[in-house]
Amino acid sequence: MASIRFVLKRIALLVPVLFGVATVVFAILHLAPGDPARVIAGQRASAEQLEQVRRELGLHRPLWIQYLSFLGDAAQFDFGQSYSISRGAPVRSVLLDRLPVTLELAILGQLAGIFLGLPLGILSAIRQDSLTDHVTRIGALTGISVPIFWSGPLLILAFATYLDWFPTSGRIDSTLFLPDSWHLLGRELPLTGLVTVDSLLLGNWTAFTSAVHHLFLPALVIGIYSTALISRMMRSSMLEVVRQDYMRTARAKGQGARITVLKHGFRNALIPVVTIIGIQFGTLLGGAVLTETVFGINGMGLTIVTAIGALDYPVVQGTVLTFALLFTLVNLVVDITYGYLDPRIQQ
Amino acid sequence: MAVGRTATDWARPRARIVGSALATGALAGSIAVAVLALYAEGTLFGTRKAFALGALAFGFGLLGWSGSVLAGRGVEAMQRHLDAAGDWTEADSRRAMARITGFGFGAMLGVSATAALV
Amino acid sequence: MSTETRRRGAVDRLRASPFLSKLLSNRLALVGLTIILGMLAIALYARITLDPQALASSRLGTAVPDRAPPGWTGTGPADQYLFGTDSAARDIYERCLYGAWLALQFGTITVGTSTVVGVGLGIVAAYYGDVTDNVVMRTMDVLLAFPPLLLALALVAIFPRELGLWRAVAALTLVYTPRFARVIRGAALTVLEDEYVDATVALGATDPRVLVRHVLPNTLAPITVQSTLNFGLAIIDLAALSFLGFGAQAGTPSWGLMLSRGVDNGLLTGRWWLSFFPGLFLAVTVLGFNLLGDGMRDALDPRMREAID
Repeated sequence: MASIRFVLKRIALLVPVLFGVATVVFAILHLAPGDPARVIAGQRASAEQLEQVRRELGLHRPLWIQYLSFLGDAAQFDFGQSYSISRGAPVRSVLLDRLPVTLELAILGQLAGIFLGLPLGILSAIRQDSLTDHVTRIGALTGISVPIFWSGPLLILAFATYLDWFPTSGRIDSTLFLPDSWHLLGRELPLTGLVTVDSLLLGNWTAFTSAVHHLFLPALVIGIYSTALISRMMRSSMLEVVRQDYMRTARAKGQGARITVLKHGFRNALIPVVTIIGIQFGTLLGGAVLTETVFGINGMGLTIVTAIGALDYPVVQGTVLTFALLFTLVNLVVDITYGYLDPRIQQ
Repeated sequence: MAVGRTATDWARPRARIVGSALATGALAGSIAVAVLALYAEGTLFGTRKAFALGALAFGFGLLGWSGSVLAGRGVEAMQRHLDAAGDWTEADSRRAMARITGFGFGAMLGVSATAALV
Repeated sequence: MSTETRRRGAVDRLRASPFLSKLLSNRLALVGLTIILGMLAIALYARITLDPQALASSRLGTAVPDRAPPGWTGTGPADQYLFGTDSAARDIYERCLYGAWLALQFGTITVGTSTVVGVGLGIVAAYYGDVTDNVVMRTMDVLLAFPPLLLALALVAIFPRELGLWRAVAALTLVYTPRFARVIRGAALTVLEDEYVDATVALGATDPRVLVRHVLPNTLAPITVQSTLNFGLAIIDLAALSFLGFGAQAGTPSWGLMLSRGVDNGLLTGRWWLSFFPGLFLAVTVLGFNLLGDGMRDALDPRMREAID
């Protein structure tokens, strides 16, 4: 079975990818200025105290031993303890807490982008040079030019501060607490960490409306951006495909022009768009960093920003590796989808 | 591997690429440590940075190599699909990354060995 | 076609006016150019008349009210402040003007350095080909595959904090260089394909001479287009890094930092002017560069356009 081998080969490649990222992350720690021991021990620590901390961290050992032990730990997703931002807490638990937060934002934004951007792009391409087309294109260009850290604050000011329709920050009402697990047919199952999904699983309607209420503006900010990107891409890809020969043949066979466009054009135009959606997921994660900062949502983005600022290197390392893992996994899914859309790729 | 090709045929060009890169890296790493030992404040600082730079190249190369294999066919197909003039090929990319990976690993070895001696 | 006409064709194609006349007939591009020239005038005016030291220091405790709304809204105590004052009683209008100077200055440094390094790498890769080409360009490809802002964040962690805005410039230069290297290599290959360079090499021209005399002048157009397109992005990314706290140091009148202060101090209290004006300047400038860049790309020779996306 060619396609199972295709998928397995790609999953196996995750190993060198993560090995590479872990190595780069190790390099970043050692290239970064400043002494980790001083970050932990504080500015006034004595030379002996510093030496003590260095020994505890294993910084006195030869570099290659440090490297190998770092790789061993990273393979178990163990980056030690946070130096400063969640002092003493294992980095792994910090990451597990915050990963779903960013994931939820990125997924909501990406969904908005796909459901709005694809139709807008197609519409724009079918009605090329019409008023609809012009409005869509100028809208998309504006959507790309306006930085998230400006549109975000403006939306908060208008819809949260002045109109009071939405809360200004956070992802759920601070008085609401969701339990750690839920029950299905008498069995206890862990929750996803995505507040919109969890509240539905628990059947907690109040929590669900509160989550939607809180996440609407941040998701909108990311959604506008991804809609703009996807609609631009879909438009040009669709125009490219419509011009190709087989589309003319299909039309000559007498099917209605509209059906031709949808049936033949869409699937083929989707091929490059799917790849772009994958690559663009990284840009979206970058957008999530800014959005989380604007909306005060404690996800991976806000975490890496605070951690770099506080020289909390274990947290920086863990976050970078998690971002890379996320990015690679999404592109893996994209690649497999892509193989399905265009079977030629599976050799 | 493909029929009619022996393992040596497959391994020789690859070993040559990685081998020469390894040697270059090891040389560069040792020289870097030696120079830093002469001019910089202390060997430890220089060794640490040189080793980290080697690790950076090694990790970057690994990432690029696996990324090329992972995305290779997709990118090549997309170029064909869009009729773009790109001349990116998976094989070229893998070869370049193998050199960088080898160089980085060589540097890490060179730095460690020289640091142990100095 | 004789070698002579082809040679002239290659040189004239980029030097002569189709590019300019096409560009000048594009109305949106002219709007973009006007915006940029306007910003440049503002930046120079601010550089000459305003004192950055004074703009950076707090005026709390003086007669100037802090967090005063813009005068024309008629709600604040001080009607002489067009954009209001910030939480340290500084004049947001003057700070926005000076921000234009900072944005254009550091944008130019970022794009300029990336262009120079990228042009060097791209031309060398195209000229020497083979292993050099492969290693240089495939490295650029891998760098290009990373999400720009996340790559910049990881790089920022390597440079010392004391560098201030220069730290952001250094990180972004590494992020932007591959974009230039790729375009220049593509353009240089197109030039090198034309026989006249072969003829020059046969006549005994040395490597650097061929590169400087023949390849470089012919790649000027795509370099300019790529620089314009990336200038807007560079200004946004610089502001984003300042916004996140990895660029301009406290007090500096950079738009990104002003926005960040506006988010901290103005969102809950409805002090919209703290973030509205710096963001407006930023967005308009970026739009200007995007409009001009899009127009320039459309006016460019199709053979050269392929490498820019």
